Amino acid sequence: MRGMNGVGETLRESAVFNFDGAMTMVVDDSPFAMELTAQALLGFGIKVRHTCAEAAEAIKILQTHPVDLILVDCEMPGMSGYEFVRWLRRSGLEPNAYAPVIMTAAHVRRSKVSEARDCGANFLITKPFSAGVLLERIVWVAKDTRPFLEVGDYFGPDRRFKEEPWPGPERRSEEIRKAQFEAQRRGSIEL
Amino acid sequence: MTVITHNRRRSRLSTLIDQPGGVSVGTALKQAHANLAEYEARSREVIEEQVSALAGMKPPPSPEQASAALDQAYARASAVIDAAGPFEMKDICTAAANLCDLIDAAPEDQSFDWRIVTVHAQALRLLLTLPAEANDARAQVLESLKDVLKAKVPGGAKG
Repeated sequence: MRGMNGVGETLRESAVFNFDGAMTMVVDDSPFAMELTAQALLGFGIKVRHTCAEAAEAIKILQTHPVDLILVDCEMPGMSGYEFVRWLRRSGLEPNAYAPVIMTAAHVRRSKVSEARDCGANFLITKPFSAGVLLERIVWVAKDTRPFLEVGDYFGPDRRFKEEPWPGPERRSEEIRKAQFEAQRRGSIEL
Repeated sequence: MTVITHNRRRSRLSTLIDQPGGVSVGTALKQAHANLAEYEARSREVIEEQVSALAGMKPPPSPEQASAALDQAYARASAVIDAAGPFEMKDICTAAANLCDLIDAAPEDQSFDWRIVTVHAQALRLLLTLPAEANDARAQVLESLKDVLKAKVPGGAKG
């Protein structure tokens, strides 16, 4: 996952999107921030179906209602946005556990940077952000085709955005084992 | 470490957005801006309320209360960013984020210099009253806040 600010608004003005019928949930403890998000979404044609002032309320809804898109504030009293997303990904709820999640933050504490990366959200947007950036990110997470990975206690979209070869020596044990197996196989064929 | 890969199914959202109908990006953004514009005055009120509350905060009377007081100041500065975010008030957001950075970097084993909160509240008040064209004055205010960050958090100031 990476921050959004600085990324250009790359959607064509004439591109058309239909968000009609998208079950959208916004989780934010600030009523005013919630209203601002809802108004921006409404402009895009997204009527927010579930507004939750705390994670506990959202959890109740998610257990019984399928949701297509979740926007959640990072810093909330009680269960934080990070903890909420971690819970969601591990919830086993179908299809909600795989729902696109955009996290929003006014400020990310240094101690929370790794939590932001590892909780399993599709994207984190730090404020201030424009309506254009929000729309671009929603379209992006809708089309996000990254597989979900389960690695240690991480469960969420593959955090690698690009498949670029690592320039240094291979350190992943699976890759090393695969290379060893291939070498043995080649050796046995040559015999 | 074991990696289990779950192949991504197409999300319902991705199916929905490609359905016939809907709105163009241009229209969507126009509508969003129009909707948000109705909240600009309220946004300013929220910012002013939070800045007044920050200005009125007193240093905590005991070290035990310091953490809660700092959390409160952090929450108020974050609320300023929340409210200013959609309205091109980048200077307000920068000043509030500067305060968040300072509070976030405050060492737990040392007392926090509470004047930092007061200085930021005053700076935010000034930024709110400066005319739109006073770019140099805004830059100067932000620069002085950045200096506070540089002094208190080595390597903390960006740009």
